Amino acid sequence: MPIFDQGYQHWSGELSGHAWRWLAITRHGVRVGLKSKLLRIVLFVSWLPALVLAGALCVWGLLEHKSSMIDPIVQFMMFVNPQVLAEPRAYRLEVWTLCFHFFLQTELRFSMILVLLVGPSLISQDLRFNALPLYFSRPLRRIDYFLGKLGVIGFFLAMVTIVPSVVAYILGVFFSMDFTIVPETFRLLVSTVVYGLIITLSAGLLILALSSLSRNSRYVALFWIGIWFVSGISASVLQGVEREHQLRSFAVHNPSFPPASQWRDARRLREERRVRLDSWQLQNSRTDWRPLVSYTENLSRVERALLGTDNSWRKLSELLPDDRDVNHFLVDYAGPFYPWYWSALVLLGLFGLSACTLNFPIKSLDRLR
Amino acid sequence: MYTELSDQITGSPPMMPVVAFHEVSKWYGNVIGINKLTLSIPAGVTGLLGPNGAGKSTLLQLATGQLFPSQGTVSVLGRTVWNNPSLNRLIGLCPEQDAFYEWMSGWDFVYTCAKLAGMGRAQASDAAARSIESVGMTRQMKRSVRGYSKGMRQRIKLAQALVHEPEVLFLDEPLTGTDPVARRDLMDIIQKLGSQGKSVLVSSHVLHEVQSLTQSIILLNHGRLVAQGEVRQIRDLIDNHPHHIVLICDSCRKLAGRLLAWEDIEGVNVLAGGKGLMVQTRSPDAFYGRLPELSLQDDTAITEVYSDDDSLEAVFKYLVNS
Amino acid sequence: MTAASDLMDARQNPRFGTTSFSRVAALWALYILGLRQHLHGKRWMVITLLFLLPAVLVLVVRHTAHDVPPVNFEFVFVFMFIPQALLPLVALIYASGMIQDEQEEQTITYLLVRPSAKWAIYLVKLLATLTTTVCLTAIFTAITYVVIYAGAQSSAESIPLRCAKAILIHALAVITYCCLFGLIGLLSKRSLVIGILYIAIFEGLFANLAFGIRLLTVIYYTRLIAYRTLSFVTFTHGFPQNIAADAWQLDVMNDPQLLEHPQISTCLLVLLLASVFFAGLAALICSRREFHVKTPEKG
Repeated sequence: MPIFDQGYQHWSGELSGHAWRWLAITRHGVRVGLKSKLLRIVLFVSWLPALVLAGALCVWGLLEHKSSMIDPIVQFMMFVNPQVLAEPRAYRLEVWTLCFHFFLQTELRFSMILVLLVGPSLISQDLRFNALPLYFSRPLRRIDYFLGKLGVIGFFLAMVTIVPSVVAYILGVFFSMDFTIVPETFRLLVSTVVYGLIITLSAGLLILALSSLSRNSRYVALFWIGIWFVSGISASVLQGVEREHQLRSFAVHNPSFPPASQWRDARRLREERRVRLDSWQLQNSRTDWRPLVSYTENLSRVERALLGTDNSWRKLSELLPDDRDVNHFLVDYAGPFYPWYWSALVLLGLFGLSACTLNFPIKSLDRLR
Repeated sequence: MYTELSDQITGSPPMMPVVAFHEVSKWYGNVIGINKLTLSIPAGVTGLLGPNGAGKSTLLQLATGQLFPSQGTVSVLGRTVWNNPSLNRLIGLCPEQDAFYEWMSGWDFVYTCAKLAGMGRAQASDAAARSIESVGMTRQMKRSVRGYSKGMRQRIKLAQALVHEPEVLFLDEPLTGTDPVARRDLMDIIQKLGSQGKSVLVSSHVLHEVQSLTQSIILLNHGRLVAQGEVRQIRDLIDNHPHHIVLICDSCRKLAGRLLAWEDIEGVNVLAGGKGLMVQTRSPDAFYGRLPELSLQDDTAITEVYSDDDSLEAVFKYLVNS
Repeated sequence: MTAASDLMDARQNPRFGTTSFSRVAALWALYILGLRQHLHGKRWMVITLLFLLPAVLVLVVRHTAHDVPPVNFEFVFVFMFIPQALLPLVALIYASGMIQDEQEEQTITYLLVRPSAKWAIYLVKLLATLTTTVCLTAIFTAITYVVIYAGAQSSAESIPLRCAKAILIHALAVITYCCLFGLIGLLSKRSLVIGILYIAIFEGLFANLAFGIRLLTVIYYTRLIAYRTLSFVTFTHGFPQNIAADAWQLDVMNDPQLLEHPQISTCLLVLLLASVFFAGLAALICSRREFHVKTPEKG
């Protein structure tokens, strides 16, 4: 009686290369994800800011051409500096940059929610239902598996960051009816795509690492909430206390009320004090590490560096009638101004930690390959 | 077809049904779990059989009050089960899912279940020890459930179902995933429970397991009752299909010639190797009556007679495929 | 029917004791099981780390911002960070998982086939959750107070009294949050997402708007109780400043007595009634619904 090999039966047909094998996992994950009604709703809602972005870019294009179509809208643009409205082409890059910045800020929140909806079950469910052998008994490598799972996160994040940005950019270019705009603003497009990839890699790998730590996807979701929510609030609290500390330190050398001998100049002195305070806060903002505690703030800082948002704010601040208001303006709207590579290093550290975590918990299952 | 068969098979109801379903249907949205099921399960060990998705788990969950019937009524020991927690004192369930409070030891798990059943500390302790003993887990009871083998987990799951000494036990695929030794032990335990006068409803899709536990079966398919009764009794009622009887003898072809002369024989096949015959008949009783006489004839000495049709497998195949 | 009833009656044997005793014993066992579930394994470590966060942050800021008075730290960490972030989050973790975890782990069957009504199972599990969260809140609020005030110059008001008041306020908040998130956990499988959205939108955004919509938030009432029972006046170079009024959008300039806002008794009543309503509704839903473990949830 012949005894047959009971092990893995190799596929006798021809296999495609490894390059696209992960796509099967991604495709399946996306299909499963899209079955969720809540996810579809979140996707839909997260596209609404994209409409606003596209609308803003189109309006700006029409404004550059002094189109009468937007006259009714211009009346409502009182918040924009009149000089900017008078020379829309001169401030095109700044306005586009800030539009993309606000859009990406909003989408960052939606991205976190999407990761919360999609990510926790990606590996934990496979661990829970012992589904890993189903993957690894096929000609898939660990990297294919992780890429496939990362692709699921990437798909949804791209849907709310990269795709709408690109569409809005193209619409903006068409409405400006001036293709010389492309070299000027192309950096924004590239930055948006790069930023989308950074979020995908960072958040994607992080949630995969968390997902590989537990068989219960609820716990994974809670960990994610902790990283996103608690780190954000902790950073805010630390910054709040630091601001209070700065105000008190500043007040030691700059009393709020001038001595009686200088009461006649009280108003001028108060103004000078305010200017010094703004300058002091701006200075401190350059070395304040507290925002690094927040995961989303780190992503945000990298985004601002990529888009060059701070430069845009600076250029707009030049329009202020009083030079002394510049620092105040920057403190209020721009910043924090600590070096962007601090945040990049934090994200890189988390990335490395996630990669290490992924390397360990599922390692034992490699025996199957 | 199923309805007709079940009408014939369910026949006369037993004296006092332990579990009774009356016109019960259960839908999950558009999916139908149980379809207009009327069923009375008598005391003793009963096998609940059906392929995957037949509605076995739905039936058990309806019988244990976990699900509310979309239509009809379900009663156990004469009482409605839905939202009737006091009835749960008389019911024990060994669920199919391999789920535990993994951080507990086997003892802790069974003891906690005893306490959840409403026992005091001392009684719960005694009951847990007794029930763990009955499933042969005393030696391993202090170990964490997380470290148990599949067989141990099934035993401890059975222990929690037995801990409050229920009158009616529902066992959902209790033998799934167990090795032959654990399987034999669990079957012994179930048979012992039956002999102690407990009513046990065991679900399974593995036919020979149920066959070795009981002759009384319920067959479900697509949420409907296909058949209920003794295996043999059910087989007898399937008149559309001739019985297959195997005769082992030395001179098969001569015997075949004689058999073909009988009017109630529908066909005879010589088995591979020529060592036996497969006879098809619609009158098995008459056939068996004449068989000894035939066997006594020297040149056709029959050494072995058996019917494959009495096996549950064959019955199930007939019923489900038809 | 009669035979079955007789059999049933015969089963009321000494093993189970009297029916009422046996019911209480079953519920007590469930309560203990609930407590153990909340604290077993590494869970308590994760929760401890989370709850220790304000204390750790206080240590950091005491080192970096030594000139800020302790009452500011107390306000920021005990009355902002803990009730706005920690309490809802811990309540969400525990309360939304009371039933969902049992369902996901498929252990709910072991509870449903015991002689306790489903509404009672829910309420007892909620009680275990409330016990756990209130105890954790009390312990770690006290620890935060110790870290804030240890070695610091204390204000005129007794610190232990302030701590006790803070613990009571937090307990009230966490009870309401637990009842609310327990209900959400029963209504939706996505309770975590819904809970987080609720925390961010209602307790984070609406509570900080000086409009009527903040009446719909838990934190508004706890803030009012805190404001009316504790003093949050701090002195910056001799000038008094009410940090709570500024941060909580309470217009003390035009309405120093906060007459336009609910009184303490009203706040207490609202929070307790809301808790009872959420718990009652959840128990009612629980008693009527099916818990699908192996069978499909829907078509």
